[in-house]
Amino acid sequence: MNFFNLFENDFLVILPEFFICIAIIFLLSYGVVYSTSTFYNYPILSVNISWLGFFVLLISFFLCLNNCLSSMIIFNNLLIVDSFIIFIKSTILLSSIFCILISLNYLEYNKINSFEYTLLILLSILGMLLLVSSYDLLSLYLAIELMSLSFYILATYKRKSEFSGEAGLKYFILGAFSSGLLLFGSSILYGFTGMTNFEDIAKLLLGIGVIYDTLSYIGIFIGILFISIALLFKVAAAPFHMWSPDVYEGSPTPITAFFSVVPKIALLALYVRLFFYAFYEFIPLWQELFLICAIISMIWGSIAALSQKRIKRLMAYSGIVNVGYMLVGIASGTITSIVGLLMYLIVYITMTIGFFSFILGTQHYKTNYLNVFLIDLKNIGKTQTILGISIFIILFSMVGLPPLAGFFGKMYLFFSVMNSNLYLAAILGVLSSVVSAFYYIRMIKIIYFENSKSFTLYKQMDKNNSYVLTISILLLIIFMISSDALLLNCHRCAMTLTI
Amino acid sequence: MIEYPSILLSLITLPLLGILVIMVLPQNQINLVKTVSLTTSLIIFIISILLWLNFDLSTPKYQFVEHFFSVPYSNINVFIGIDGISLFFVLLTTFLIPICLLASWDSIKFSIKEYNIAFLFMGSLLICVFTVLDVLFFYIFFEAILIPMFLVIGIWGSRERKIRASYQFFLYTLIGSVLMLLAILTMYAQTGTTDVQVLTTITFSQDLQFFFWLAFFASLAVKVPMLPVHLWLPEAHSEAPTAGSVILAGILLKMGGYGFLRFSIPMFSHASIYFTPLIYTLSALAVMYTSLTTLRQVDMKRLIAYSSVAHMGFVTIGMFTMNLQGIEGSLFLMLSHGIVSSALFLCVGVIYDRHKTRIINYYSGLTVSMPIYSIIFLFFILANMGLPGTSSFVSEFMVLTGAFKSNVFITILIATGGVFGAAYSLWLYNRTAFGNIRLTYINNFQDIDRREFFVFLPCIIIVLIMGIYPEIFLSIMHVSVQHLIEQIY
Repeated sequence: MNFFNLFENDFLVILPEFFICIAIIFLLSYGVVYSTSTFYNYPILSVNISWLGFFVLLISFFLCLNNCLSSMIIFNNLLIVDSFIIFIKSTILLSSIFCILISLNYLEYNKINSFEYTLLILLSILGMLLLVSSYDLLSLYLAIELMSLSFYILATYKRKSEFSGEAGLKYFILGAFSSGLLLFGSSILYGFTGMTNFEDIAKLLLGIGVIYDTLSYIGIFIGILFISIALLFKVAAAPFHMWSPDVYEGSPTPITAFFSVVPKIALLALYVRLFFYAFYEFIPLWQELFLICAIISMIWGSIAALSQKRIKRLMAYSGIVNVGYMLVGIASGTITSIVGLLMYLIVYITMTIGFFSFILGTQHYKTNYLNVFLIDLKNIGKTQTILGISIFIILFSMVGLPPLAGFFGKMYLFFSVMNSNLYLAAILGVLSSVVSAFYYIRMIKIIYFENSKSFTLYKQMDKNNSYVLTISILLLIIFMISSDALLLNCHRCAMTLTI
Repeated sequence: MIEYPSILLSLITLPLLGILVIMVLPQNQINLVKTVSLTTSLIIFIISILLWLNFDLSTPKYQFVEHFFSVPYSNINVFIGIDGISLFFVLLTTFLIPICLLASWDSIKFSIKEYNIAFLFMGSLLICVFTVLDVLFFYIFFEAILIPMFLVIGIWGSRERKIRASYQFFLYTLIGSVLMLLAILTMYAQTGTTDVQVLTTITFSQDLQFFFWLAFFASLAVKVPMLPVHLWLPEAHSEAPTAGSVILAGILLKMGGYGFLRFSIPMFSHASIYFTPLIYTLSALAVMYTSLTTLRQVDMKRLIAYSSVAHMGFVTIGMFTMNLQGIEGSLFLMLSHGIVSSALFLCVGVIYDRHKTRIINYYSGLTVSMPIYSIIFLFFILANMGLPGTSSFVSEFMVLTGAFKSNVFITILIATGGVFGAAYSLWLYNRTAFGNIRLTYINNFQDIDRREFFVFLPCIIIVLIMGIYPEIFLSIMHVSVQHLIEQIY
């Protein structure tokens, strides 16, 4: 590789990540210099740097959308950028913009004064952007580590709460374990194939079914198996989901929102790139593995969520169920299933961001307490009508009831699943969505029908939270009326994978 | 024939316009809100009569067909239209919505605007369900009814077990219907279209038909309701407000029957004929078991709810006899039951509004204290029984004739069940209306007032007309039902 090639194409294509990287360095030095300056009386820069981080992400979102080149493989075959990747990157950046907006109020009221919060979020976003572009097992591992290390620290961010520390420690241990599995699988794969690049592996594995019983096949099989299991750990699919309820519950609430939404986008895009391109020949392996994990996720997640009393734990189990649906979408193995998966993903992140902005925006008047238990949500429908209607739309969308947006996401997804003849998974999927309807309806019952004599007085929702909630409700209503813009976009992105 | 522009589209959009008008009315002019919603629903009823007058009863084709909308980038173009089978369901809907709104004039004390909005919205959705000629959107509207009905039962229902009732209603219906969604998606994947007019010309393979029929059965059987999954109905009825019960019994149950007639029987004919013994068994059991259970009830609404299950047992037997009398009988029974059951719930609502209890034990001697009411109550009880001269006699007779042609043993069973129907109806009336007044429980009396009388009067007139000269109604159904039967064989 010529040194000057680097500056010809590669930096142009990687400009969003590069911009975030430089911005992190600048913001870090700005924060360190000014928050320890005696001239300004040791100012608390956390909200300040959060807004600066918001603008960084906004600018990199526009940089990402305006990239001038089409499919490129850059940095000596380590990274790839094509329109699927750009779609996923813009989704990641947009949802993290919303996550930063909804966390501002929390930072003020819970006196989180250290400015590194936003920087860690920016670092993890950098890791995720590199993850979805990765085209090589090495860059995959490095990007996953960058993403995960920032997550471990973010999970323990509330230093005064031992819940938070426990969450971070559990996440760290399981995350490190799964990264170890990933490395092990990659090294076995390297040992038996001699290459780590996805394109080379894809070309090598073409037609490998003929050497079914040789040692090489078994070796590659084991390597791919370990890599898949490591990635399933990361995305919290059952039976590898044990960390997620505790981590989601212990982390500070905006971090839980961030965890529920953004890593799933990055990891599912990675799955598409990895399994539909590199390992497609081993489809009997990963299709069965994903189907089993998906079925267990859907059943276990929906049944375990029935007995939860806390909101964040409920959302963790609901996240496990939704990951189950998306894994069935991946297991189907066709282009239609990628389209269905992307549609469901977009609707899911819209609903989840709306839900978390609702949770973060309803603060009790005197104590500034955020709702932790489900019972705390009682009678919001009676005291605050429009807020009740918003959460009503979000919750019924999560059930998947027509004519709301969640139904259309599920419909596209299950249409592609039925098309691939995965009947058992589809039937169990819809039945588990009925079971999960129960706890969403229970939330509606608590919000609207509860006959208690006391009403909680809530502070007025702050501006940023209300913007995010409004945008998510608007998007859900627009999906309800016409989903063709999104469908066309997802279809175009899925088609680029065939090239 | 004059070309009327888009009657069906106006039927669907006028309730939505009414909702918009109601939403901007001020909260302190509640009477204006109620008047506006009642007027809207009456205008819709009058427009729907135009459908009946301009209906061409010599052709089985769909009439008043319009393009509703299209889902882009897929082959889904939704048309709306009616034929002889669905015309009367649309009329029943537009007939019952003003009656519901009028019946709940005084009994709903809070959130009246939202209540009227919910009912007008349900009216619009119901007309969509009965007229849309597309399987996927039938499913969407079929499920969308759950949301307003769930809210009506949960918010305005009577106090005690309403949460449990709304949960049961919601979850029972949801389980069946998601299986129907899978069947619809597979149908779309296999044939590339969801248009009913195209799908009725396609014959699926035998195994696929069995899967489709069973998936549709899972959903429609909960809605009808058939025997093992009927438990939501007594709960939902006894906890819903009066008008909620009227809509539930009058129309929501008929969606199940309509689904069988429009989708299961024409599209999956082989499977329908194969599974006919299953339907016969469940329906006969339903008729006998629920009629006997009715004798044990202490809550009046539950009693009428169980009798609804029994009548719908008759309906499903009539539908699967696959001959003209049977299917026309089941259609006519659905219409008649829609009016008679709704009127019975309204009767119970009248005394519930006055005395706030539905337990039979407290009531006795209503002929002494409320004579006009007891005449009306007697009329509908006799109609429920199947007295000749009322619509339910005509319909039950046709169902029995059709069933006799198909299977004699089932006919004997359900005719016996009809006797039990007489038993519980007369016993209910006997205990509540005859005898002496129980002054220890109830000592304030008022006969029905003018508003309630006008709620009942249209129902009485329609039941009598349907019973004495049913050919007015049946003549429209002949060609469509005959076409349906020809499609089966």
